[in-house]
Amino acid sequence: MSFLESLWVGLSEARRHLGQTLLSLVGLVLGTGSIVTVLALFGGQTKITQDFLAEVGGLGTVIVRDREQSEHPTARDLASDRLTYGDARYLKDRATTLAAVAPGWFDRLEYQVGAVHFTGPVIGTTRDYARINDIRPLAGRYLSDLDVRRKARVIVLGWKYADSLFLDPERALGELVKLRGKNYTVVGVMEREEFYFAVWSGNALEYRNERAYIPITTAFIQYTGDDEHLSFLTLKARSPTGARAAEAQVGTMLYLRHGVEDFDITPSGGGANSDADFFMLFNFIFLVVGVVSLVAGGVVIANILLASVVERVREFGTRMAIGATGFQIFAHVLAQVVVIAVLGGLIGLGLGTALTGTVAHFMKMPVAVTVVIAEVALGTSLGVGFVAGFYPALRAARLSPVEALRYG
Amino acid sequence: MPLIEARGLTKVYRLGRVDVPALRGIDLEVHEGEYVAITGPSGSGKSTLMHILGCLDSPTSGSYRLDGRDVSGLRGRALAHVRNRKVGFVFQTFNLMPRMTTDENVALPLQYRGGISRRARLRRARALLERLGLGERIGHRPDELSGGELQRVAVARALIGEPAILLIDEPTGNLDSKAGAEVLKTFREVHDAGNTIVLVTHDPNVAAEAARTIRLVDGEVAA
Ligand SMILES: Nc1ncnc2c1ncn2[C@@H]1O[C@H](COP(=O)(O)OP(=O)(O)OP(=O)(O)O)[C@@H](O)[C@H]1O
Ligand SMILES: [Mg+2]
Repeated sequence: MSFLESLWVGLSEARRHLGQTLLSLVGLVLGTGSIVTVLALFGGQTKITQDFLAEVGGLGTVIVRDREQSEHPTARDLASDRLTYGDARYLKDRATTLAAVAPGWFDRLEYQVGAVHFTGPVIGTTRDYARINDIRPLAGRYLSDLDVRRKARVIVLGWKYADSLFLDPERALGELVKLRGKNYTVVGVMEREEFYFAVWSGNALEYRNERAYIPITTAFIQYTGDDEHLSFLTLKARSPTGARAAEAQVGTMLYLRHGVEDFDITPSGGGANSDADFFMLFNFIFLVVGVVSLVAGGVVIANILLASVVERVREFGTRMAIGATGFQIFAHVLAQVVVIAVLGGLIGLGLGTALTGTVAHFMKMPVAVTVVIAEVALGTSLGVGFVAGFYPALRAARLSPVEALRYG
Repeated sequence: MPLIEARGLTKVYRLGRVDVPALRGIDLEVHEGEYVAITGPSGSGKSTLMHILGCLDSPTSGSYRLDGRDVSGLRGRALAHVRNRKVGFVFQTFNLMPRMTTDENVALPLQYRGGISRRARLRRARALLERLGLGERIGHRPDELSGGELQRVAVARALIGEPAILLIDEPTGNLDSKAGAEVLKTFREVHDAGNTIVLVTHDPNVAAEAARTIRLVDGEVAA
């Protein structure tokens, strides 16, 4: 009995029980369709998260933060200089796993331009900060090594500040901005940074547009009384995959210098999961719909097959009488399932693709039905078919030829 | 060596707590090329005997050698193989597959045997149908055929695998006298071609065709 012939028998059986076949098809189609959609959306969300990570500096970016000192510091805690500009220079010279090091000083200062006053974040850093975070000036330039060496009173504005204070980024260049009473010359305006996890959520990177950058050395002179204590250190590993090694090396080197672990090392990209809960709910609903549909489809298939087995008992008896083995009868019945399951899987794949396309369109998400997803969908449909078909097929295969021939 | 050699065959059906003995110790020998008729009143065990001879069922006790091999202990798959190769069964109700053409029906046993291409199977089936005078009916479906033609298609299906023995249950039970005569002529030709035939019948005219008649009464061979 060739497989093709079994399929042919399966097809004609499916046609004979058209109503039930359609019913079980609906189950399989809804089931596989939902599963395709879930997998595609999930893939899309993963892609978004990856895009976000790339946007905030990509893999291989490592951030060292000064750890809050405990209320009862030990002698070792007190002996440590904590995270300093010196650490940054030391790592830049000695850490072999790093491609770039940018020290960070952070504070909220009063801005003043003309009659406008407000308080906002200021970051004191070096040229490498832009490189590590992969951000570029829209007008003018970013901080230079010379700015840092000269402790220059220059400032680079985030896009939002330039836009609201000077209306036009170009016009901001050369203007003066006061930070806690000290004048700075605007030498650059950064590109607008934006990232949307989904159309309904706001710009996840808006905070980066509402800040300004000054040379770190200038910050120390002007605001800390030459205390070179850092808020954070931004590091770039030599390769995207080298972040782990970099974290380990930096951790060891800083520990040896401080004598205590008063810092935290984290890979960049925290906060990428802010919309994850929403997605999870979405996925969960689709998954439930998918599983319920598949189970329903499976039950209907099992019923069709049982009915068809009962109807064909005499036929099976005859086939056995002319030499069909139990296994061959089993295969006859399962062939029917294969026809329905493949059909259901294919239509479900189509439905899922359409659904995914719709979701992608309205939510502006980068989702796609991949080959793997298609394979999983077809596999699921076939799997449900086999599970549903197993018992009816077994019953047919176990018929005694004599009993089957007497039947009806 | 006899083709069929049965010794002390019994078959007991269990109906709830009651044992129904259908065969009570049958001894039977059929030699190659014989034409044997089995007769007897209703319920005497004719069909039961045929099922055991045709390896559709196994005896409760006794031994059965078919073509030199003891098959009374075989079950399931092994029995299916014996049925496929050694036995050609013709049913009273023909039992053709309604959605298959005559040649597809006739080729079916070869399909289960395996190892023969679909083309070769159908070629053999058509040749056999031609030989049995059914050349015109190749490609037709069972519902387009007369009773006599259906019976002969069923015979062709039984013969396609070149079995050791042809077992026929009530061949004329579902046919009018003209078709019955036609079918008997076919059996004679098949027998003349060297086939061994065992058939069950109520009809004395059919039994008269056979060289030997065995009469069953209450599950035993009547003297
Ligand atoms: N599957 C079965 N279960 C229980 N009893 C059975 C079964 N098959 C046959 N019998 C019984 O065994 C006995 C012999 O039956 P069998 O069908 O062999 O007779 P038969 O000679 O073929 O009769 P008929 O001429 O009516 O076809 C009968 O009493 C019958 O009721
Ligand atoms: Mg009978």
